Amino acid sequence: MSNLLELHNISKNFGALTALRNLSFHIGEGEVVGLLGDNGAGKSTTVNLISGIHKPTDGYLSVDGKKTLFTCRSDSADAGIETIYQHTALVDSLSITRNIFMGRELTDRFGFLRQAEMRDIAMEVLQNAVHISGIDSPDTLVGNLSGGQKQAVAIARAVYFKKRVLLLDEPTSALSVRETEALLNQVLKLKAENVSSVLVTHNIYHAYQVCDRFVIMSHGTKVFDVAKADTTINQLTEYVVLT
Amino acid sequence: MTPILADSAGPRSRTQRQSLLKQIMGMPAGAIFLVFMTLQVVCIAGALLYPNEFRYLSPQNLTILMKAIPVLGCLALGAGVLMIAGEFDLSIGSVYTFTAVLMASLVGAGVSAFLAAPLGIVVGLLIGLLNGHITLRFGLPSFIVTLGGLLFWRGAVLLYNGAVQVRFDPEPIFTSLFSGTLLGINAAFIWIVLFVVGFHFLLHRHRFGNHVFATGGNRGAAEAIGINTARVKLIAFAIAGGMAAVAGILATARVGSVQPGQGAGLELQAIAACVIGGLSLRGGRGSIIGIFLGVLLIHTITDVLLLLRAPGFYLDMFIATLIVLAAIFNHLIERRGIA
Repeated sequence: MSNLLELHNISKNFGALTALRNLSFHIGEGEVVGLLGDNGAGKSTTVNLISGIHKPTDGYLSVDGKKTLFTCRSDSADAGIETIYQHTALVDSLSITRNIFMGRELTDRFGFLRQAEMRDIAMEVLQNAVHISGIDSPDTLVGNLSGGQKQAVAIARAVYFKKRVLLLDEPTSALSVRETEALLNQVLKLKAENVSSVLVTHNIYHAYQVCDRFVIMSHGTKVFDVAKADTTINQLTEYVVLT
Repeated sequence: MTPILADSAGPRSRTQRQSLLKQIMGMPAGAIFLVFMTLQVVCIAGALLYPNEFRYLSPQNLTILMKAIPVLGCLALGAGVLMIAGEFDLSIGSVYTFTAVLMASLVGAGVSAFLAAPLGIVVGLLIGLLNGHITLRFGLPSFIVTLGGLLFWRGAVLLYNGAVQVRFDPEPIFTSLFSGTLLGINAAFIWIVLFVVGFHFLLHRHRFGNHVFATGGNRGAAEAIGINTARVKLIAFAIAGGMAAVAGILATARVGSVQPGQGAGLELQAIAACVIGGLSLRGGRGSIIGIFLGVLLIHTITDVLLLLRAPGFYLDMFIATLIVLAAIFNHLIERRGIA
């Protein structure tokens, strides 16, 4: 398994505050990594760094072994990385179709939308790629969906645009049990299609269900990096709590 | 772990049993459309029953309506696009007057109206861009910035021209192009219909429109997906300013002169039309057809009240009631999430 994304000795300072210190880890192709840690461990900063919102103070990222610098969100999107935030990713007042194609609309050469085509694709993606219950039409406004359904739409967007890595930032925190189950299944299904995921979460149990490997952070740096086969929930909990 | 499949079989009977009424209500601007049609049916029935007392269908009245609608229509279309993008422009009434005075005085100085009118539109666009630039550059509420614009450009009219009326004597072909009649229909009305169609395609069928809705609906999300929301807003500001200038041209061509005080309060009427038409004050919601129906409704109600010989100063009270009712209604729809 080659490494899709690598972080090399990354540090990030915000003024006097050191958010990340000498952080290195990697994400393999088709691998599901759990990024764990307590509040303030630097998980969100790491996510923002990988998605191009923050630039590292020191160190660098590499994609497919090639050193890269993400200066904005679209750089990471071009590299095949999709960040799925709990709340900010979708526009409630637009339909599912319009959300999936937001910013990447299919248009004719005058910029007019190819609506029928986009609708068909959205329908197809919702039915085949993202199995989540209760969405009966791609014309439904996203504001009418539940938290889990919204994430399904965000994931559908990533799937359709052939993303290679999904960064899921606290994906399960607002979901029902059933929705959580569906989301975790989705991650596994994507893994079977060779899409990697990074699950950033507090919830060790959810992470343990689907992740191949765990990276535990504390005080801005990595304290533990272990494959699922070599660890237990108890050991992971100990690392999160005690370091 | 078995995947939870979408229950695509067994369509929900609830949605199937929806009546035609519910379907219309669920459409964008569906509710306002129903109100408008009801009013039309009542008015037409009244006019047919009492042709002498209630002259709603008389050619004179229809002509008055067709002449009155385009000015507010242009202002509301511009203001509406900007509102959907999540910003306000209170200066459009003043910009409308300023560009009209500018155009009329240029024509008075011997410039061709075919040159002066586009120049007026360019000035409108630039003022819109300036509003947008100040708003975005300093992260201010556009409400405040354009409130400044309202006063500034109103003052600029007086500075440039003084408080006197400006005559507008363009080439006859210019006048007939903007206030003549074609097949019995007022030219300005044809213009506004063309604008409505054009704006509809721009906003609902074009990539730019999708970005406008995304920007107004959730700026963070639009930004995150790579839409340049500042640019979208700037363009929307420019459209608002440009359409204010277009409204100025239509009004001036119709009347043949400009009064320095004529635009006062029009910006609020334009925003009122947008609210009646179902636009959210927070942006991201609304439709062009809704804006147009809002304009039609304001003018129809004003017209009906005048035909019924209601004293002029009552008119504002009816419009005010309509605005608040529309706002309450839209808020309920937003909360239920069916619009």
